[in-house]
Amino acid sequence: MSETRKRRGLQRRIDKIDAENIDYPTPSLAWMGRTHQWGTRVKPGNKGLTLSSLNVGHYGEIPEFWEDQTRMPRGSVAGPGGVPPIGYSVRAKHELWADCAGDLYEEAIQRRWAPTTDVPWATIEPLPEVVERAMCQLCTELCQHANVEIETITSWQQELSYGYHEVKMFLATETFDAARHFEVFRKRALCNGGGLGVESQGRVNRMILENRGGWTEAMAVLQLLRGTLTHTIYRHGMSFAHNDAEAIIFGKCLEDKSRHLAYGLDHLKYAINHQSDQALILEQVLGIGERHLVRELRDPPFRESLAIIFGGGIEGARTHGMARYQHLMGDFVRQYLDWSDWLGLRRREFVAPELKAFLEK
Amino acid sequence: MNAAESVETFDLDLGWLDQMGEWGTRAEPGKQGLTLADIQLGSYGDVPAHSDNLTGRPRGAGKRADGFRVGGYEVRDKQDIWLDNAAMIYEEAVNRQWSSATDVPWETIRPLPDDVEQAQCELATLLTEVEFVAGDVPARWVAATTPDYFEPRMTLLAQIMDESRHMDVFRKRALANGGGLLQRTGGTAGVVGSIDMSRDFTEMSSRLHISGEGAVLSIFRMGELMAYNEAEKIAYRLCAQDEARHVAFGVMHLRYIADTAPERKEEIHCYLDESERALLAGQQNPAAQQTPVSEALAILLGGGKDQFDDGYRKLLAIRRRQVKEYMQRVKSAGFGERFENGRANPELKTYAQL
Repeated sequence: MSETRKRRGLQRRIDKIDAENIDYPTPSLAWMGRTHQWGTRVKPGNKGLTLSSLNVGHYGEIPEFWEDQTRMPRGSVAGPGGVPPIGYSVRAKHELWADCAGDLYEEAIQRRWAPTTDVPWATIEPLPEVVERAMCQLCTELCQHANVEIETITSWQQELSYGYHEVKMFLATETFDAARHFEVFRKRALCNGGGLGVESQGRVNRMILENRGGWTEAMAVLQLLRGTLTHTIYRHGMSFAHNDAEAIIFGKCLEDKSRHLAYGLDHLKYAINHQSDQALILEQVLGIGERHLVRELRDPPFRESLAIIFGGGIEGARTHGMARYQHLMGDFVRQYLDWSDWLGLRRREFVAPELKAFLEK
Repeated sequence: MNAAESVETFDLDLGWLDQMGEWGTRAEPGKQGLTLADIQLGSYGDVPAHSDNLTGRPRGAGKRADGFRVGGYEVRDKQDIWLDNAAMIYEEAVNRQWSSATDVPWETIRPLPDDVEQAQCELATLLTEVEFVAGDVPARWVAATTPDYFEPRMTLLAQIMDESRHMDVFRKRALANGGGLLQRTGGTAGVVGSIDMSRDFTEMSSRLHISGEGAVLSIFRMGELMAYNEAEKIAYRLCAQDEARHVAFGVMHLRYIADTAPERKEEIHCYLDESERALLAGQQNPAAQQTPVSEALAILLGGGKDQFDDGYRKLLAIRRRQVKEYMQRVKSAGFGERFENGRANPELKTYAQL
C-alpha cells in the first residue's frame, strides 16, 4: 500500500472518531531525558552502518558481568526496578564473548544465499547408483551435523544474557545457516534418483548435546572438534563435487562454516585467557570428545560413503578411495591440532592415538 | 613387488547400503527453483501425527536399532506445532533477507527537533528491547521439537534471524542521529502468562505471534506515517514484511489446531483472554494506553509535543486499526466466535467502533 493511501486511510479513520468526545490524556513525558548518553551520531562507513560501529562511548562499554535479568538493551537506562527476572544463566562475559561476533553477524547477512535459487540444480546429472548412494549417505550425515548445531545453540539461546547482544545476534545467523545446510543437503539427496541414507548412530551427536554444563564447553565440541571435521568435509567436497550444483553447495556451506568456526575459536580463546582452569577443563572435554569421535569413525557408513565418492565406486573405494578418506581425516586432525595449539590446548601431545595415526596419511 | 601389489586394499562393510531410506526420488526444480515443497515426495513428505524419532534422524532416513536417544523432544505431536504453509513461509524468509547495514539509506537521516528525536529514540529503545523476545523464545521451542517437524522449526529459525535484524536496526536508529537509548520499559518480564514463561508451544504462539507481533506489525505498517526520512520508512517497511510472516505462522498454526484439535479450543480461548488484556494495557504494544511509548508515538504522529493532541487522535486511529487487524487474525484462525458470544475483551469492541 502506498504512503498516500495509508495517509488517506488514516485520515478516514480519524474523521470517524468523535473528536469532541476524546478524553485527551495529559502526557507525563517523564521518560524524556532519561538517558545515559545523548548526542550519539554514528555515521555509516564503507560497509554501511554496522553493528560494531555502534559501540561508541557508553554504548560500547561491555561489562565483565551482566547483572540485569531482563531484556534491557545495553546502554539504556534501567529505570524503576520490580521487573520480574526472565532468568538468564550465562551472564559473565568470559562465558560467551568473542570480539568478532558483531562483524561476523554483518558478514553472515551480506553473504546470505538461498538453496532454492542459488544452486544450479539443473546441472545435476545421474551418477552410477553406488556413487549416488554414497552421496546420499554423506548428505544424510551432514543433515545431522546441521541438526545438532541447531539443537545445541537453540537450547542455549534463551540462557545468554541480553547485554552481549552481538553474540546472540551472531548465533541467530549461525542457526539460520544451519537450517539452510539441513535444507540443502536434504534437497541434494532427494533430487537425483536417490533418497536419504541411514541415520548416524549418533555417538558424537550425543556427546555434543550432552556437553551442556557450560556454553564454552559446548562450543569446544560443537565448533572446534565437530565443526573442524564438518569444515574439512566441505572443503574436500569442493574437489569431489560431481557437478556445479554440488560445488556451489559445498562452497557456500564452507563460507558459512568458516564464520561459525571463527566465533567458536575466538570465544574459546577469550574464555581461556579470562578464566583460570578453563584450558584444563577444555582439554578434558576434548579428550573425551575425541574418544567418542574415534568410536564413531569405526562405523562404516561415514567413512565408506566418502571412500566410494573418492574412489568412484566400490572397487575404487577399497584402494585409493579409502586412502583419500584417510587423507581427508589427516587434514582434519592437522587443522584441529593447529587450532588447539593456537588456543594453547595441549592436544597435539595427548590427542587420541587413532586420530594421531591419521597425521601420517 | 610391482606397483599394483603395493597399493593397500581395505575391507569394506557395505551393509548400510541396504539400510537406506526410500530410493528413486527425483525432485525437479520448478520456476521458483528447488523448493521444500518440491521435495515432499513419497515417504519424505509423510509427516507423522506422532513422532517416535528420538535420535534426531532426518525424516525419511533409515532407522538404526543402535541409535542413541539424544533428542528428548517435548514436542512430538504434529498438532502441537504444525501449520500447513511453514515451508512456503520459510522459503519466502530466505528470499527476503535484508541488511540493516546497507539496505537502509542511513545518509537520509537529518537532525530532528529534540522532542521528536527523543520520541523516536524512546520507540527504538522499546523495539530493541521487545523484538528479541521473538528470538529467544522460539529458539527454545526449536530445540524441543522433533526434526520430523523440520518445516516449522526452520521457519522459527528464520524468525529468530529476522528478529535479530529488528533488534539491530532499531538500535542503529537510536544511535545514528544525535540521540541515544532511553529507559527500558520492562515490557518482556518473567511473569505468569508472559511469552517467555509459556509452557506450551501453542500458548506461546498465541501470545507471541497473534497478539504481540500482530500489534507491532500494525505499527510497522503505519510506520511511514511517523517516519521523518527515507531511512525510517524503509526500516519500517522491511520490518513489516518480516513481521507479517511471523504473524502468518501464528494464524496458520492456530487454524491447524482449530481444524484438527477442536478439543483444545477452549484452552486457546483462555490464552486469548489473557492476550487481549495485555494488548490494550501492556508494555509490549507500543500503542497501548498511557505508556511512555504511546506518548512517544503521539509526538511522532503529531509532529512534536506541542501537537500532542493531534498525534493522539492519530494514535487512536492506529489503535483502532490494530484492534481490527487483531480481530481479523483471530477470526481467520478459527476463533472468531469470541467476538460474537461476548467472550472477547469489551474494550476491543469500543476501539473497533471508534
